Amino acid sequence: MSRRIPPLLIGFAVACHVWPAPAGVTQAAAQTGLQALVAEGERLWTHSPDTGNPVACATCHRDPAMTRGWAAGFPKFKPLPPPHARVMTLLQANAEAVERHYRLADPLPAATAITAFLTAQAAGIPISPGISAGQPVFPVRMQALTASVVRGKQAYARSCSQCHNPFDLAPSATAFPRAEGGRPESLELFLEGHRPLQPPLAWDGQATADIMAYLMSQAAGRPIGHHTYRASTEGKEGS
Amino acid sequence: MIRVIFFAGLASLMVALAVPPDATAATVIMGTVKNEAGKPLPGLALLEKGEIHNNIWDRGTLVGADGRFRIELPTGGQYGLHVYSSGYIYSPEAVKVETGKTLEVKVVLDPEPMRANTPVIKKAGFFPWEARQGKVTFVKLDVEDPNGDLGPQVLALNAATGRAYAMNPPKRITDLKANFPNGIYQLEVDTSKGPINPRDWHFVVADHQCNTTDILSFPHDPKPQKVIGKR
Repeated sequence: MSRRIPPLLIGFAVACHVWPAPAGVTQAAAQTGLQALVAEGERLWTHSPDTGNPVACATCHRDPAMTRGWAAGFPKFKPLPPPHARVMTLLQANAEAVERHYRLADPLPAATAITAFLTAQAAGIPISPGISAGQPVFPVRMQALTASVVRGKQAYARSCSQCHNPFDLAPSATAFPRAEGGRPESLELFLEGHRPLQPPLAWDGQATADIMAYLMSQAAGRPIGHHTYRASTEGKEGS
Repeated sequence: MIRVIFFAGLASLMVALAVPPDATAATVIMGTVKNEAGKPLPGLALLEKGEIHNNIWDRGTLVGADGRFRIELPTGGQYGLHVYSSGYIYSPEAVKVETGKTLEVKVVLDPEPMRANTPVIKKAGFFPWEARQGKVTFVKLDVEDPNGDLGPQVLALNAATGRAYAMNPPKRITDLKANFPNGIYQLEVDTSKGPINPRDWHFVVADHQCNTTDILSFPHDPKPQKVIGKR
Protein backbone atom coordinates (compact mmCIF):
# COMPACT_ATOMS: atom_id res chain seq x y z
CA MET A 1 0.00 0.00 0.00
CA SER A 2 2.69 2.49 1.03
CA ARG A 3 4.67 1.72 -2.12
CA ARG A 4 1.91 3.24 -4.20
CA ILE A 5 1.94 6.67 -2.58
CA PRO A 6 5.46 8.03 -2.24
CA PRO A 7 4.70 11.29 -4.11
CA LEU A 8 1.88 11.94 -1.67
CA LEU A 9 4.15 11.34 1.29
CA ILE A 10 6.82 13.63 -0.11
CA GLY A 11 4.29 16.42 -0.47
CA PHE A 12 2.97 15.70 2.97
CA ALA A 13 6.43 15.78 4.52
CA VAL A 14 7.12 19.17 2.95
CA ALA A 15 3.78 20.48 4.13
CA CYS A 16 4.35 19.24 7.67
CA HIS A 17 7.56 21.20 7.94
CA VAL A 18 6.21 24.57 6.91
CA TRP A 19 3.79 24.87 9.78
CA PRO A 20 4.38 27.57 11.08
CA ALA A 21 8.04 28.31 11.58
CA PRO A 22 9.13 31.30 9.53
CA ALA A 23 12.54 32.62 10.47
CA GLY A 24 14.61 35.81 10.27
CA VAL A 25 13.45 38.27 7.68
CA THR A 26 10.52 36.09 6.80
CA GLN A 27 9.41 36.18 10.42
CA ALA A 28 9.68 39.96 10.59
CA ALA A 29 7.69 40.29 7.39
CA ALA A 30 5.13 37.90 8.73
CA GLN A 31 4.90 39.94 11.93
CA THR A 32 4.39 43.15 9.96
CA GLY A 33 1.80 41.41 7.85
CA LEU A 34 0.07 40.14 10.96
CA GLN A 35 -0.05 43.61 12.47
CA ALA A 36 -1.63 44.92 9.28
CA LEU A 37 -4.12 42.08 9.38
CA VAL A 38 -5.01 42.84 13.00
CA ALA A 39 -5.41 46.53 12.16
CA GLU A 40 -7.68 45.62 9.27
CA GLY A 41 -9.66 43.40 11.62
CA GLU A 42 -10.08 46.25 14.08
CA ARG A 43 -11.25 48.53 11.27
CA LEU A 44 -13.82 45.97 10.15
CA TRP A 45 -14.88 45.41 13.75
CA THR A 46 -15.65 49.08 14.25
CA HIS A 47 -16.88 50.07 10.77
CA SER A 48 -19.30 48.27 8.50
CA PRO A 49 -18.20 48.06 4.86
CA ASP A 50 -21.89 48.08 3.95
CA THR A 51 -22.68 51.75 3.42
CA GLY A 52 -26.35 50.87 3.39
CA ASN A 53 -26.21 49.54 6.92
CA PRO A 54 -23.70 51.17 9.27
CA VAL A 55 -24.31 48.71 12.11
CA ALA A 56 -20.87 47.21 12.85
CA CYS A 57 -19.70 44.50 15.22
CA ALA A 58 -18.67 47.15 17.73
CA THR A 59 -22.10 48.78 17.64
CA CYS A 60 -23.35 46.03 19.92
CA HIS A 61 -20.09 44.41 21.09
CA ARG A 62 -18.35 47.60 22.07
CA ASP A 63 -16.93 46.58 25.43
CA PRO A 64 -13.30 45.42 24.93
CA ALA A 65 -13.32 43.84 28.38
CA MET A 66 -16.15 41.60 27.25
CA THR A 67 -14.79 40.68 23.83
CA ARG A 68 -11.20 40.22 24.94
CA GLY A 69 -11.83 36.70 26.13
CA TRP A 70 -13.86 35.52 23.16
CA ALA A 71 -11.06 33.92 21.16
CA ALA A 72 -10.04 31.76 24.12
CA GLY A 73 -13.51 30.22 24.28
CA PHE A 74 -13.54 28.78 20.75
CA PRO A 75 -14.38 26.38 19.25
CA LYS A 76 -17.73 26.47 20.93
CA PHE A 77 -21.39 25.79 20.31
CA LYS A 78 -22.95 28.71 18.48
CA PRO A 79 -26.70 28.97 19.03
CA LEU A 80 -27.64 29.96 15.51
CA PRO A 81 -31.29 29.59 14.54
CA PRO A 82 -32.24 25.97 13.85
CA PRO A 83 -31.07 23.98 12.00
CA HIS A 84 -27.75 25.87 11.86
CA ALA A 85 -26.72 25.73 15.52
CA ARG A 86 -23.44 23.79 15.85
CA VAL A 87 -19.90 23.87 17.17
CA MET A 88 -17.94 26.48 15.27
CA THR A 89 -14.47 27.92 15.22
CA LEU A 90 -14.02 31.63 15.81
CA LEU A 91 -13.39 32.16 12.09
CA GLN A 92 -16.50 30.23 11.13
CA ALA A 93 -18.61 32.20 13.61
CA ASN A 94 -17.15 35.47 12.36
CA ALA A 95 -17.78 34.47 8.74
CA GLU A 96 -21.40 33.71 9.53
CA ALA A 97 -21.82 37.06 11.24
CA VAL A 98 -19.99 38.99 8.53
CA GLU A 99 -22.06 37.36 5.81
CA ARG A 100 -25.29 38.17 7.61
CA HIS A 101 -24.54 41.66 8.88
CA TYR A 102 -22.12 43.04 6.29
CA ARG A 103 -23.63 41.15 3.35
CA LEU A 104 -20.26 40.41 1.77
CA ALA A 105 -20.33 37.92 -1.09
CA ASP A 106 -17.06 36.41 0.16
CA PRO A 107 -16.99 36.70 3.95
CA LEU A 108 -13.64 34.92 4.38
CA PRO A 109 -11.18 37.87 4.06
CA ALA A 110 -13.14 40.07 6.48
CA ALA A 111 -13.73 37.16 8.87
CA THR A 112 -10.00 36.30 8.80
CA ALA A 113 -9.04 39.87 9.67
CA ILE A 114 -11.63 40.09 12.47
CA THR A 115 -10.45 36.73 13.80
CA ALA A 116 -6.86 38.05 13.84
CA PHE A 117 -8.04 41.13 15.74
CA LEU A 118 -9.96 39.12 18.35
CA THR A 119 -7.12 36.60 18.72
CA ALA A 120 -4.62 39.42 19.25
CA GLN A 121 -6.92 40.89 21.89
CA ALA A 122 -6.93 37.55 23.69
CA ALA A 123 -3.14 37.17 23.86
CA GLY A 124 -2.14 35.57 27.14
CA ILE A 125 -5.63 34.44 28.12
CA PRO A 126 -5.86 30.73 28.96
CA ILE A 127 -7.57 28.64 26.30
CA SER A 128 -10.96 27.45 27.56
CA PRO A 129 -13.03 25.92 24.76
CA GLY A 130 -16.75 26.42 25.22
CA ILE A 131 -16.34 28.81 28.11
CA SER A 132 -16.19 32.58 28.02
CA ALA A 133 -15.33 34.53 31.14
CA GLY A 134 -18.36 36.18 32.70
CA GLN A 135 -20.84 34.13 30.72
CA PRO A 136 -22.86 31.19 32.03
CA VAL A 137 -21.90 27.65 31.08
CA PHE A 138 -24.75 25.72 29.49
CA PRO A 139 -24.58 21.92 29.84
CA VAL A 140 -26.27 21.29 26.48
CA ARG A 141 -23.67 23.39 24.70
CA MET A 142 -20.82 21.65 26.50
CA GLN A 143 -22.26 18.26 25.51
CA ALA A 144 -22.28 19.37 21.88
CA LEU A 145 -18.66 20.50 22.23
CA THR A 146 -17.67 17.19 23.83
CA ALA A 147 -19.22 15.32 20.91
CA SER A 148 -17.31 17.56 18.52
CA VAL A 149 -14.04 16.84 20.36
CA VAL A 150 -14.70 13.09 20.09
CA ARG A 151 -15.31 13.36 16.34
CA GLY A 152 -12.23 15.54 16.00
CA LYS A 153 -10.08 13.05 17.88
CA GLN A 154 -11.14 10.29 15.52
CA ALA A 155 -10.49 12.43 12.46
CA TYR A 156 -7.13 13.52 13.85
CA ALA A 157 -6.11 9.93 14.45
CA ARG A 158 -7.00 9.05 10.87
CA SER A 159 -5.46 12.01 9.12
CA CYS A 160 -2.99 13.96 11.25
CA SER A 161 -1.38 11.91 13.99
CA GLN A 162 1.25 10.34 11.75
CA CYS A 163 3.18 13.59 11.80
CA HIS A 164 1.68 15.72 14.53
CA ASN A 165 1.56 15.04 18.24
CA PRO A 166 -1.64 16.86 19.16
CA PHE A 167 -0.41 18.06 22.55
CA ASP A 168 2.66 19.69 20.97
CA LEU A 169 0.81 21.02 17.99
CA ALA A 170 -2.24 22.43 19.71
CA PRO A 171 -0.78 25.68 21.13
CA SER A 172 0.60 26.69 17.75
CA ALA A 173 -2.91 26.64 16.39
CA THR A 174 -3.46 29.93 18.20
CA ALA A 175 -0.70 31.50 16.09
CA PHE A 176 -3.33 31.74 13.38
CA PRO A 177 -4.49 33.74 11.54
CA ARG A 178 -1.07 34.63 10.18
CA ALA A 179 0.28 36.52 7.21
CA GLU A 180 2.50 34.30 5.12
CA GLY A 181 4.14 36.21 2.30
CA GLY A 182 1.72 39.04 2.91
CA ARG A 183 -1.20 36.70 2.41
CA PRO A 184 -3.61 36.34 5.34
CA GLU A 185 -4.23 32.74 6.26
CA SER A 186 -6.46 31.19 8.85
CA LEU A 187 -5.86 27.76 10.34
CA GLU A 188 -9.10 26.64 8.73
CA LEU A 189 -7.87 27.66 5.28
CA PHE A 190 -4.47 26.12 6.00
CA LEU A 191 -6.12 22.82 6.86
CA GLU A 192 -8.22 22.98 3.73
CA GLY A 193 -5.08 22.96 1.62
CA HIS A 194 -2.63 21.30 3.99
CA ARG A 195 -2.59 17.84 2.47
CA PRO A 196 -4.80 15.66 0.41
CA LEU A 197 -7.05 14.84 3.30
CA GLN A 198 -9.71 12.31 2.48
CA PRO A 199 -12.31 13.57 2.46
CA PRO A 200 -10.92 17.08 1.95
CA LEU A 201 -11.72 19.58 4.68
CA ALA A 202 -13.72 22.68 3.92
CA TRP A 203 -12.64 25.74 5.92
CA ASP A 204 -16.22 26.37 6.98
CA GLY A 205 -17.19 22.75 7.58
CA GLN A 206 -18.11 20.85 10.71
CA ALA A 207 -15.15 18.44 10.27
CA THR A 208 -12.70 21.35 10.46
CA ALA A 209 -14.41 22.64 13.60
CA ASP A 210 -14.23 19.14 15.09
CA ILE A 211 -10.48 18.81 14.51
CA MET A 212 -9.89 22.25 15.95
CA ALA A 213 -12.13 21.45 18.92
CA TYR A 214 -9.95 18.40 19.58
CA LEU A 215 -6.73 20.40 19.21
CA MET A 216 -7.95 23.12 21.53
CA SER A 217 -9.04 20.54 24.09
CA GLN A 218 -5.39 19.49 24.16
CA ALA A 219 -4.33 23.08 24.72
CA ALA A 220 -6.86 23.99 27.39
CA GLY A 221 -5.33 26.15 30.08
CA ARG A 222 -2.38 27.25 27.98
CA PRO A 223 -2.24 30.93 27.04
CA ILE A 224 -3.18 32.16 23.61
CA GLY A 225 -0.12 33.45 21.81
CA HIS A 226 2.42 32.75 19.15
CA HIS A 227 3.98 29.32 19.45
CA THR A 228 6.38 27.72 17.05
CA TYR A 229 6.08 24.09 16.17
CA ARG A 230 7.91 21.57 14.06
CA ALA A 231 6.33 18.35 13.01
CA SER A 232 7.87 15.06 13.98
CA THR A 233 9.78 13.31 11.21
CA GLU A 234 8.82 9.98 12.66
CA GLY A 235 5.95 7.92 11.47
CA LYS A 236 5.55 9.44 8.02
CA GLU A 237 6.33 6.13 6.40
CA GLY A 238 3.75 4.42 8.53
CA SER A 239 0.48 3.06 7.30
CA MET B 1 -51.46 5.62 69.21
CA ILE B 2 -48.30 7.21 70.56
CA ARG B 3 -46.40 5.15 68.00
CA VAL B 4 -48.57 6.49 65.16
CA ILE B 5 -48.08 10.08 66.31
CA PHE B 6 -44.36 9.51 66.69
CA PHE B 7 -43.94 8.09 63.19
CA ALA B 8 -46.22 10.71 61.67
CA GLY B 9 -44.15 13.43 63.33
CA LEU B 10 -40.93 11.79 62.20
CA ALA B 11 -42.22 11.57 58.64
CA SER B 12 -43.23 15.25 58.67
CA LEU B 13 -39.79 16.21 59.98
CA MET B 14 -38.07 14.21 57.25
CA VAL B 15 -40.20 15.82 54.56
CA ALA B 16 -39.44 19.26 55.97
CA LEU B 17 -35.72 18.54 56.01
CA ALA B 18 -35.79 17.13 52.49
CA VAL B 19 -37.24 20.33 51.02
CA PRO B 20 -34.59 22.99 50.42
CA PRO B 21 -35.28 26.17 52.36
CA ASP B 22 -35.68 28.22 49.20
CA ALA B 23 -37.91 25.76 47.36
CA THR B 24 -40.87 28.08 47.76
CA ALA B 25 -38.90 31.12 46.65
CA ALA B 26 -39.86 32.52 43.28
CA THR B 27 -37.70 31.95 40.21
CA VAL B 28 -37.24 35.37 38.70
CA ILE B 29 -35.33 37.21 36.04
CA MET B 30 -35.27 40.94 36.50
CA GLY B 31 -33.17 43.77 35.28
CA THR B 32 -32.62 47.28 34.09
CA VAL B 33 -32.56 48.61 30.55
CA LYS B 34 -30.61 51.76 29.75
CA ASN B 35 -28.79 53.43 26.92
CA GLU B 36 -25.05 53.98 27.10
CA ALA B 37 -25.57 57.36 28.75
CA GLY B 38 -27.48 55.66 31.55
CA LYS B 39 -30.95 56.84 30.56
CA PRO B 40 -33.63 54.25 31.48
CA LEU B 41 -35.47 52.88 28.46
CA PRO B 42 -39.02 51.52 28.38
CA GLY B 43 -39.88 48.61 26.11
CA LEU B 44 -40.36 44.87 26.08
CA ALA B 45 -38.44 41.98 27.64
CA LEU B 46 -39.27 38.65 25.97
CA LEU B 47 -37.98 35.17 26.71
CA GLU B 48 -37.32 32.10 24.61
CA LYS B 49 -37.43 28.92 26.65
CA GLY B 50 -34.28 26.86 26.19
CA GLU B 51 -31.52 27.77 23.78
CA ILE B 52 -31.47 31.32 22.50
CA HIS B 53 -32.69 31.82 18.91
CA ASN B 54 -34.71 28.58 19.03
CA ASN B 55 -37.84 30.68 18.41
CA ILE B 56 -39.77 28.97 21.21
CA TRP B 57 -41.18 32.04 22.87
CA ASP B 58 -42.46 31.72 26.36
CA ARG B 59 -42.98 34.69 28.58
CA GLY B 60 -42.51 38.39 28.52
CA THR B 61 -43.28 41.67 30.15
CA LEU B 62 -43.25 45.40 29.65
CA VAL B 63 -40.16 47.30 30.66
CA GLY B 64 -41.32 50.32 32.64
CA ALA B 65 -40.43 53.96 32.13
CA ASP B 66 -37.88 53.47 34.89
CA GLY B 67 -36.15 50.89 32.70
CA ARG B 68 -36.97 48.05 35.07
CA PHE B 69 -38.58 44.70 34.36
CA ARG B 70 -39.35 41.52 36.27
CA ILE B 71 -40.51 38.14 34.96
CA GLU B 72 -41.47 35.32 37.26
CA LEU B 73 -40.72 31.87 35.85
CA PRO B 74 -42.29 28.48 36.62
CA THR B 75 -38.88 26.86 36.68
CA GLY B 76 -35.21 27.64 36.32
CA GLY B 77 -33.13 26.74 33.32
CA GLN B 78 -31.77 28.19 30.15
CA TYR B 79 -33.58 31.07 28.47
CA GLY B 80 -32.95 33.52 25.66
CA LEU B 81 -33.63 37.04 26.89
CA HIS B 82 -34.44 39.63 24.22
CA VAL B 83 -34.91 43.26 25.14
CA TYR B 84 -36.49 45.84 22.84
CA SER B 85 -36.95 49.59 23.03
CA SER B 86 -38.21 51.91 20.30
CA GLY B 87 -35.36 53.45 18.32
CA TYR B 88 -32.80 50.95 19.60
CA ILE B 89 -31.23 47.76 18.27
CA TYR B 90 -32.58 44.85 20.28
CA SER B 91 -30.31 42.95 22.65
CA PRO B 92 -30.24 39.13 22.76
CA GLU B 93 -28.59 37.32 25.67
CA ALA B 94 -28.52 33.67 26.73
CA VAL B 95 -29.17 33.43 30.45
CA LYS B 96 -29.29 30.69 33.05
CA VAL B 97 -31.81 31.12 35.86
CA GLU B 98 -31.57 28.88 38.90
CA THR B 99 -34.80 27.57 40.37
CA GLY B 100 -35.81 29.53 43.45
CA LYS B 101 -33.38 32.34 42.73
CA THR B 102 -33.44 35.75 41.13
CA LEU B 103 -31.17 36.55 38.23
CA GLU B 104 -30.53 40.26 37.77
CA VAL B 105 -29.25 41.53 34.44
CA LYS B 106 -28.20 44.93 33.16
CA VAL B 107 -29.01 45.59 29.54
CA VAL B 108 -27.51 48.46 27.55
CA LEU B 109 -29.10 49.21 24.19
CA ASP B 110 -27.59 51.06 21.24
CA PRO B 111 -29.62 53.33 19.01
CA GLU B 112 -30.43 52.32 15.45
CA PRO B 113 -28.06 54.51 13.39
CA MET B 114 -30.62 54.73 10.59
CA ARG B 115 -34.07 53.37 9.89
CA ALA B 116 -33.88 52.79 6.13
CA ASN B 117 -33.41 49.04 6.67
CA THR B 118 -35.76 48.71 9.60
CA PRO B 119 -38.82 46.51 9.10
CA VAL B 120 -42.14 48.29 9.09
CA ILE B 121 -45.36 47.17 10.78
CA LYS B 122 -47.97 48.51 8.39
CA LYS B 123 -51.05 47.37 10.24
CA ALA B 124 -52.24 45.32 13.21
CA GLY B 125 -55.69 43.85 13.74
CA PHE B 126 -57.79 41.44 15.83
CA PHE B 127 -60.33 39.25 14.08
CA PRO B 128 -62.72 37.00 16.02
CA TRP B 129 -63.53 33.92 13.95
CA GLU B 130 -67.25 34.13 13.25
CA ALA B 131 -67.60 30.41 12.53
CA ARG B 132 -66.33 29.64 16.03
CA GLN B 133 -68.49 32.28 17.73
CA GLY B 134 -65.41 34.23 18.63
CA LYS B 135 -63.85 31.36 20.55
CA VAL B 136 -60.80 31.84 18.41
CA THR B 137 -59.39 35.22 17.49
CA PHE B 138 -56.76 35.84 14.86
CA VAL B 139 -54.20 38.49 15.66
CA LYS B 140 -52.71 39.76 12.41
CA LEU B 141 -49.74 41.91 11.59
CA ASP B 142 -48.85 43.25 8.15
CA VAL B 143 -45.05 43.42 7.99
CA GLU B 144 -42.62 44.64 5.35
CA ASP B 145 -38.84 44.79 5.42
CA PRO B 146 -37.10 47.23 3.06
CA ASN B 147 -33.94 45.14 2.76
CA GLY B 148 -35.77 41.82 2.55
CA ASP B 149 -34.16 39.92 5.40
CA LEU B 150 -36.97 39.42 7.85
CA GLY B 151 -36.39 36.62 10.30
CA PRO B 152 -38.59 34.73 12.74
CA GLN B 153 -38.77 37.64 15.16
CA VAL B 154 -42.24 38.89 14.34
CA LEU B 155 -43.32 38.98 17.94
CA ALA B 156 -46.34 39.70 20.06
CA LEU B 157 -46.74 40.12 23.79
CA ASN B 158 -49.98 39.79 25.69
CA ALA B 159 -49.01 41.85 28.71
CA ALA B 160 -52.13 40.74 30.62
CA THR B 161 -51.13 37.07 30.54
CA GLY B 162 -47.36 37.55 30.23
CA ARG B 163 -47.26 35.32 27.14
CA ALA B 164 -44.89 36.04 24.27
CA TYR B 165 -45.50 34.68 20.78
CA ALA B 166 -43.73 34.38 17.45
CA MET B 167 -46.37 35.07 14.82
CA ASN B 168 -46.76 32.61 11.98
CA PRO B 169 -45.38 33.75 8.61
CA PRO B 170 -47.51 33.78 5.45
CA LYS B 171 -45.88 30.49 4.45
CA ARG B 172 -44.28 27.77 6.54
CA ILE B 173 -40.50 28.13 6.95
CA THR B 174 -38.36 25.54 8.70
CA ASP B 175 -34.94 27.16 8.22
CA LEU B 176 -34.98 29.99 10.72
CA LYS B 177 -31.95 31.61 9.11
CA ALA B 178 -33.80 31.94 5.82
CA ASN B 179 -35.23 35.29 4.83
CA PHE B 180 -38.86 35.39 5.85
CA PRO B 181 -41.42 36.90 3.46
CA ASN B 182 -43.17 40.22 3.74
CA GLY B 183 -46.91 39.96 4.29
CA ILE B 184 -49.51 39.07 6.88
CA TYR B 185 -48.22 37.26 9.97
CA GLN B 186 -50.84 35.85 12.26
CA LEU B 187 -51.53 34.20 15.54
CA GLU B 188 -54.48 32.06 16.56
CA VAL B 189 -55.51 32.89 20.13
CA ASP B 190 -57.94 30.88 22.24
CA THR B 191 -60.62 33.37 23.35
CA SER B 192 -63.14 30.83 24.60
CA LYS B 193 -62.80 32.19 28.13
CA GLY B 194 -62.96 35.84 27.19
CA PRO B 195 -62.34 38.21 24.34
CA ILE B 196 -59.03 39.78 23.53
CA ASN B 197 -58.38 43.23 24.89
CA PRO B 198 -56.28 44.97 22.26
CA ARG B 199 -54.85 47.27 24.92
CA ASP B 200 -52.87 44.33 26.29
CA TRP B 201 -51.11 43.57 23.02
CA HIS B 202 -47.72 44.86 21.95
CA PHE B 203 -45.76 44.03 18.80
CA VAL B 204 -42.15 44.25 17.68
CA VAL B 205 -40.23 42.94 14.67
CA ALA B 206 -36.48 42.46 14.13
CA ASP B 207 -34.75 41.25 10.99
CA HIS B 208 -31.65 39.09 10.53
CA GLN B 209 -29.39 42.16 10.74
CA CYS B 210 -30.97 43.10 14.08
CA ASN B 211 -32.77 46.11 12.61
CA THR B 212 -35.66 46.51 15.04
CA THR B 213 -39.02 48.22 14.66
CA ASP B 214 -40.43 50.58 17.20
CA ILE B 215 -42.78 48.81 19.58
CA LEU B 216 -46.36 49.01 18.39
CA SER B 217 -48.81 49.32 21.27
CA PHE B 218 -52.49 50.26 21.53
CA PRO B 219 -54.11 51.86 19.57
CA HIS B 220 -51.76 50.12 17.12
CA ASP B 221 -51.53 53.02 14.70
CA PRO B 222 -48.12 52.81 13.05
CA LYS B 223 -46.12 56.04 13.18
CA PRO B 224 -42.82 57.06 11.58
CA GLN B 225 -40.08 55.21 13.40
CA LYS B 226 -37.95 57.07 15.92
CA VAL B 227 -34.43 58.13 15.10
CA ILE B 228 -32.63 58.50 18.38
CA GLY B 229 -29.35 59.75 16.90
CA LYS B 230 -26.08 59.68 18.71
CA ARG B 231 -26.36 59.70 22.49
